[in-house]
Amino acid sequence: MDMDDALLDPFKRLLERISTAQMVRASESAGEVASWVEIDGSGFVDALVPEAAGGVGLSLADVVPLLLAAGGALLPVALGETMVARALVARAGKALPVTTPVLLWPADQEGRPRSLIAPALAGATHAFVQQGKQASVRPLMQGDAAPDGFGIVAARLDPTAAPLLVVELPEDALFAWAAALTAATMAGAMARVLEMTMAHVNDRQQFGRPLGKFQAIQQQMSMLAEAVAMADVAARIGLTGRQDAPSRLDAAIAKTVADESATTVCAIAHAAHGAIGITREHDLSLYVRRLKRWQLSFGSAAGWSRIVGEARLVETGNSVDFIRAMRHD
Amino acid sequence: MAGLLDSFSHADIPAGAEALRPQVKAFLAEQMAGRPADARARSWSGFDADFSRAVAARGWLGLTLPREYGGGGADAFSRFVLVEEFLAAGAPVAAHWIGDRQSGPLLLHYGTEAQRRHYLPRMCAGEIFFCIGMSEPNAGSDLASVRTRAIGGEDGWTLNGQKIWTTYAHKSHYMIALVRTSGTSDDRQKGLSQFIIDLSLPGIDIRPIVDLTGDSHFNEVFFDDVHLPADALVGQEGAGWAQVNAELAFERSGPERIYSSIVLLDCWADHLRGVPDAHAGLAVLGRLLARMAVLREMSIAVTARLAAGESPVIEAALIKDIGTALEQEIPVAIAEALAAHPEVPVTDELLRTLAFVSQVAPAYSLRGGTREILRGMIARGLGLR
Ligand SMILES: Cc1cc2nc3c(=O)[nH]c(=O)nc-3n(C[C@H](O)[C@H](O)[C@H](O)COP(=O)(O)OP(=O)(O)OC[C@H]3O[C@@H](n4cnc5c(N)ncnc54)[C@H](O)[C@@H]3O)c2cc1C
Repeated sequence: MDMDDALLDPFKRLLERISTAQMVRASESAGEVASWVEIDGSGFVDALVPEAAGGVGLSLADVVPLLLAAGGALLPVALGETMVARALVARAGKALPVTTPVLLWPADQEGRPRSLIAPALAGATHAFVQQGKQASVRPLMQGDAAPDGFGIVAARLDPTAAPLLVVELPEDALFAWAAALTAATMAGAMARVLEMTMAHVNDRQQFGRPLGKFQAIQQQMSMLAEAVAMADVAARIGLTGRQDAPSRLDAAIAKTVADESATTVCAIAHAAHGAIGITREHDLSLYVRRLKRWQLSFGSAAGWSRIVGEARLVETGNSVDFIRAMRHD
Repeated sequence: MAGLLDSFSHADIPAGAEALRPQVKAFLAEQMAGRPADARARSWSGFDADFSRAVAARGWLGLTLPREYGGGGADAFSRFVLVEEFLAAGAPVAAHWIGDRQSGPLLLHYGTEAQRRHYLPRMCAGEIFFCIGMSEPNAGSDLASVRTRAIGGEDGWTLNGQKIWTTYAHKSHYMIALVRTSGTSDDRQKGLSQFIIDLSLPGIDIRPIVDLTGDSHFNEVFFDDVHLPADALVGQEGAGWAQVNAELAFERSGPERIYSSIVLLDCWADHLRGVPDAHAGLAVLGRLLARMAVLREMSIAVTARLAAGESPVIEAALIKDIGTALEQEIPVAIAEALAAHPEVPVTDELLRTLAFVSQVAPAYSLRGGTREILRGMIARGLGLR
């Protein structure tokens, strides 16, 4: 507990400085963030890099609270992604050739991204791209790109540039990483939406009392809390398998449940906020916009759950045996 | 809120408790051989005294009760493993279920030393079975409005009134009932007490109620001037409300709120194995399992809290509400998936299991406190009430 707080408290203070709602807003269309130097200087980006390679050598379980907190603050920089890219490259005995933010870019055998919608650019300069077993660091296109339908500038790979570095990874490792990381970010964001919505229903009065005093709202708030709790636990499952890397099935659980929870969370949060939540000015929109976008990123509940279903049929025991085995692979 | 999320932080089942699992599996493989899925799907409502005595013979009834009362002296994790395996296999647990899960712990906490010595060893031996008399015709969710009344006299109590929905009263030896000992129903939580009632006493009339599938498990129970000895009182007179709430906390935490439809789910998984191109079905199966895996993780976290001596009431309510929703979604999703492909043959066993679970599933979110009542508890935990 103390160990956690020793790490988490300074990180939260950092987030309060570099991830204010104003900064989050500014990052959407700008595609650029000013705070990377401060983040990189903080040492958190090397959290997962082994000590022998000059990193902090933390375990994945140690950094999960940081990733959740970053999601809660909608940190507009690819901190988790860069953290993972640095760690994976270091584990392969090399070092990332760039110190700027790096996105995760899992691709299929033909090189098509395994994500309907590309990650937000948000100041990243490179992507860590996996195709087959090969993972390479490749530059992203910079410069004037139009924001997508969510109002966010999506990253694009530079098709002409040569890869800077190539390492080998197990098949689809990066897909699992990207999905599990997205699920954790979503879980963090959803926990914050619960807080915002609680504050709103305690504050806003109708019929002479706070909304939270109405049973209909209380029941909705309970469901919201349930969805958030599910996403939180699922995110931890996603990132804390035995191998210090998400297994395919752990990632599948995490992204499936994060996607399902996000639907509930967005719907109830909007309902409870009323019209004010529909305004661009209200911070709820920042969260909902991203949650909807993350649901389109790195596979959906339907896609990932099919992987779980296929794995279940291979197992001869009952479903409890399957769930237990899945958590211990 | 952050507190609520923290309370689900990861816990592992200790190796000592896991060591029980292979033994339970071997026992069940023997006991359950040849029982069809639609019988196994009845698990909770499957009453089989021989099975319960076989469980007792292994020392697994009252697993968490102290050894001096005939229990197993094990921790909450061991019980988690035992119950999880029983439910996954669809074992007929009803005969010992209520005693093992609710009445035993209740007597341990609130009973006198004489009561513990009188009841617990026989319960652990599978010799006596218990039922719970809380609900009445006019006291459902509003439990504090019970009207069944015990009046104290020289040599004990005189009981009059009526209970309803009492699961397996007709096959149990004792009922632990919540009744009024002073005041009127306007006094609400005040003046309620718990009694242990020997169901063979004169003046007790037990009438089974047939459920919508034709099964018979719950009952109406009438008390007409039933004389109870003084030591039938459990705990303190007037403290019944607090005791019942502690009892419901034992009831709500545990793996039993995730697995009510698991026999059907596994029967369907077997079916899918034989279906070519079952893509849509696989996604549905995976979705249900993903949620089940998360709930199991949460349930283990709550078990860790119980093992540490805490009373995670709100967390248990939250798991139960999500868990029963999953249990209810399973038959709906399977019905949809199967009926979309009439060209794929389905076994009679699977269809019977589906028919049974589809009909009883609405009870999952009623028994032990309704969905709305649980959500009210969660809202209180969030600070809204
Ligand atoms: C299979 C089964 C076995 C059972 N076994 C037992 C047993 O062994 N012993 C025993 O004592 N009881 C038993 N019960 C009874 C069970 O505890 C009750 O069904 C339950 O407490 C609900 O009471 P009720 O059925 O009277 O419904 P009601 O209380 O009448 O509720 C009907 C509906 O109204 C809602 N409602 C009620 N009050 C409120 C409120 N304040 N706010 C919002 N909504 C509200 C409920 O949530 C529900 O949706 C059993 C029930 C079932 C189905």
